[in-house]
Amino acid sequence: MTHRRWYTPWLLIAPALVWLLVFTVWPSINTVILSFTNARPLGGGHFVGLENFDRALSDDQLGDALLNSVIYMLVCLPLLTVLPLLMALLVQKRLPGITFFRTAFYTPVIASAVVVALIWGWVLDERGLVNGLAQRLDVLSQPLPFLTDRWLLLLSAISLTVWKGLGYYMVIYLSALGNVGRELHEAAAVDGAGSVRRFLHVTLPGVRNTMLLVSVLISVSALRVFSELYILSDGTGGPGGRDMSVVMLIQMYSRGFTGHLGYASALSLLLFVITVGPLLLLLRLDRKAV
Amino acid sequence: MRKYWARLAVAAVVATTVAGCGLGGGSSSPGGDSASAAVTGEIKGKVTLQTWALKPKFTDYMQGVIDSFQRKYPGVQVSWLDQPADGYADKVLSQAAGGGLPDVVNLPPDFALPLVRQGLLLDIASADPALAQDYVAGGIDAYRYAGQPGAYGYPWYLNTDVNYWNADLLTKYGLDPAKLPTNLDELIAQAKVFKEKSGGQAYLMSRKPGLGDLANAGVRIMAEDGKSFTFNTPEAAALLDRYREAYQQGLLPKDVLTDKYAGNAKLFSTGTAAWTTGGGNYITSLATDNPTLAPKVVPSPAMGTPPLYVQGLSVAKSSRNLPTSLALARWVTDAENQAAFAHLTSIFPSTKASASDPYFSKSDGTNASAAKVIAFSSLAKAAVLQPVQVDQAMSDIVNQQIALAISGGTTSKKALDDAVARCDQLLKN
Repeated sequence: MTHRRWYTPWLLIAPALVWLLVFTVWPSINTVILSFTNARPLGGGHFVGLENFDRALSDDQLGDALLNSVIYMLVCLPLLTVLPLLMALLVQKRLPGITFFRTAFYTPVIASAVVVALIWGWVLDERGLVNGLAQRLDVLSQPLPFLTDRWLLLLSAISLTVWKGLGYYMVIYLSALGNVGRELHEAAAVDGAGSVRRFLHVTLPGVRNTMLLVSVLISVSALRVFSELYILSDGTGGPGGRDMSVVMLIQMYSRGFTGHLGYASALSLLLFVITVGPLLLLLRLDRKAV
Repeated sequence: MRKYWARLAVAAVVATTVAGCGLGGGSSSPGGDSASAAVTGEIKGKVTLQTWALKPKFTDYMQGVIDSFQRKYPGVQVSWLDQPADGYADKVLSQAAGGGLPDVVNLPPDFALPLVRQGLLLDIASADPALAQDYVAGGIDAYRYAGQPGAYGYPWYLNTDVNYWNADLLTKYGLDPAKLPTNLDELIAQAKVFKEKSGGQAYLMSRKPGLGDLANAGVRIMAEDGKSFTFNTPEAAALLDRYREAYQQGLLPKDVLTDKYAGNAKLFSTGTAAWTTGGGNYITSLATDNPTLAPKVVPSPAMGTPPLYVQGLSVAKSSRNLPTSLALARWVTDAENQAAFAHLTSIFPSTKASASDPYFSKSDGTNASAAKVIAFSSLAKAAVLQPVQVDQAMSDIVNQQIALAISGGTTSKKALDDAVARCDQLLKN
C-alpha cells in the first residue's frame, strides 16, 4: 500500500515555485507597490498615491518615448512579418548552395545586439563607412546625420532591428512552411492555380497562426526596444533625449545610487499596460478571422 | 494545519513586501548621537577597508600601508577588499542596503551623499576634531552637504583637469602652440582658423558644454540651500547660444551631440581633435594608447576655475570598532602615506603638509611632468563645479537639453528652463 502525503507534489515543484516567486512574482508585485511610492534604492519610500502616474502623463519625454515605440512597432511589424516569410519561401527551395544563404541570413541573429549596434554605430557615424563612401562617390556633399538627427536615428535603429530580426523570424516561418502539406499545393496546381494564387490561398492560410505568433513577438519586442537606440545614441537618447524608448526612460530613472525607483516603476507599469494592448488586439483579430 | 501554513506564508509575504518597499520605516536618522562626539577608545580588533580599483597596480603600496598600521597597533587585523572599477556604485549600494557596509570605505562625495542622508556614515568632523587642521579645506568641504551638519569623509587624493593640445595638429592647421586659448572667445576664434585650414578634417573643439562650463561662466547651478536648481539664467543661455553658433559653423563634430565625455578624449587620441581635457596623468596614459602622439602633447591650465575631483575614505557608523576604523581611515589618508601614493601616480594629496613638497611643484622637463605641475598649482583655485546633488538622471536630462539647444531643436532659454524644471522635480521626489 502506498502512503500518499498531501505535500509531496508541493515538495517536487518547490524549487521551481521558489524560483518563480523570488524572480518573477515578487519583483512584479514589488514594482506595483513601488509605483505608488517615492522610493529610492536606499531607504524610505513613502506612499504618494497616484503622483507618479500623474507626473508620467504630463511628461513630454514619455510622450516622445511612446511615439518612438509606436513608430518602431508600426514599421517593424509589417516588415518583419512579411519579409522573413518571403525569405523563408526562397531558402526553402532545394537549390545548390542554399545552405550558405540560410546561414548568412541567420548570422545576425547569433551576434549580440550590443556588438551589432556598435558596428552599425561605426558604419553610420559622421565619418563612418556609409557617409565616407557616399561622399567619395559624390552622392552626398555633406555627411548625413544618421546618429544626431531625431528621425534618422530612429530610422537607423529600426533598420538595425529589421536586419537583425529577419533571420530569426525566417527560421520560424521555415518550420511552419514545412507543415503546409505538399499535396495541397499539388491539388491547387492541378486545379490551375498559379504560384501567386497558391501562395495566397494555400501557403498563407497554412502559416496564419505562425504569422500571428510572429506579429505578437514583434509588437512586444518593438515596444520594449532598448539596445539599438541606447547604443546608437551612446546612451544619450539623441539630442534632447527625443530618441528614447520607454525602456530607456525606465533605465535612466532607475539606475545609480539615487535612482528614482517609484517613478521608474510607474513607467514600467504603464509600459506593461501598453504592451498588453496590441496583444489583445491581435488575439481579437485572430478570433474574428477564425 | 494547511490553513495555518497558508496564513503564515501570506503573513511572511506581506511582511517582506512592506519591508522591501521601504514602507516599514525604520531607517536611522542622520546625525545620531554617536556622530556628535569625538570617537575615542582602544585601537584593536578586526576592521574592513574597501578601496576602488587599486589592485593590481597599487597592491604593494596599499598592503604596505595596511601592514604598517597593523605593526603600529598589534591588536588590529585589517581585512582589505578592493572592488573592480566597473559597477562600484552598485556594489556599495548593495552593501549599504544589506547592512554590510565595510568599516572604512572609499567613497567619492556624490556616492557618500545618499549614505549620509540615510545616516549610514560617521560625521568625521565631530569624531576627529583635528580634521580641519590637517586636510585642505576644499577636500573637506566636498564631504559637507547642505542640510547635513558635519563632514563625512577624510579627503584622500585630489585631481583636477588640465588642457591638452596636439601641437602637431595646431601647427599644421595654422595655430601657434605657444599661444594657446585661455578662454572661450579665444577658443572659438582659433577653432575658426583651425576649421578653415583643416577643411573640417580635424577639430579644435570637440565636446559640448556641461554644468561645469555653466558654473565657469559665473552661473550659479543650485540655490544656497541645495533645494532647487538655478542654472536657467540669461548668462547660461548666452553660453549655449555661442556653442550653437560654433556648432552650426561646423567648429564641432556633428556627433558631439550624442557623444559622451569620453568621445572627446577618443577623438584626441586618434588625432582627430586637437584639444582635450584630462587629469594630471593623462599624458602617461596616452603614451600607452598612442605612443607617437604623447610626446607632441602640450599641457596648459584649464580655462576658468578648474574642476576639483575628490576621493575620500568614509567610516560606516555601524562599524563595531569605530576607534580602529577611524584610526585606519586617518592612517591611510595621512600626509606621509598620501605623499607616497602621489609619488607613484599623478594624484595629489589632500593634506596641508604636502603643499610644500617640491615633487609636485617642480617639473623634470617632460610634458607629463609639466602637466603634473600645472595640475598641482591649479588645485589651489579648483572647486567642485557640479553639485553632488546632481544625480545620474539629472545629469542625463541636462546633457540632453544642452544637446537639443546646440542642435537648434529649441532655444537655449527653453532648454535650460526645461532642464531646471525636470531636475527640480527629481530633487523634490
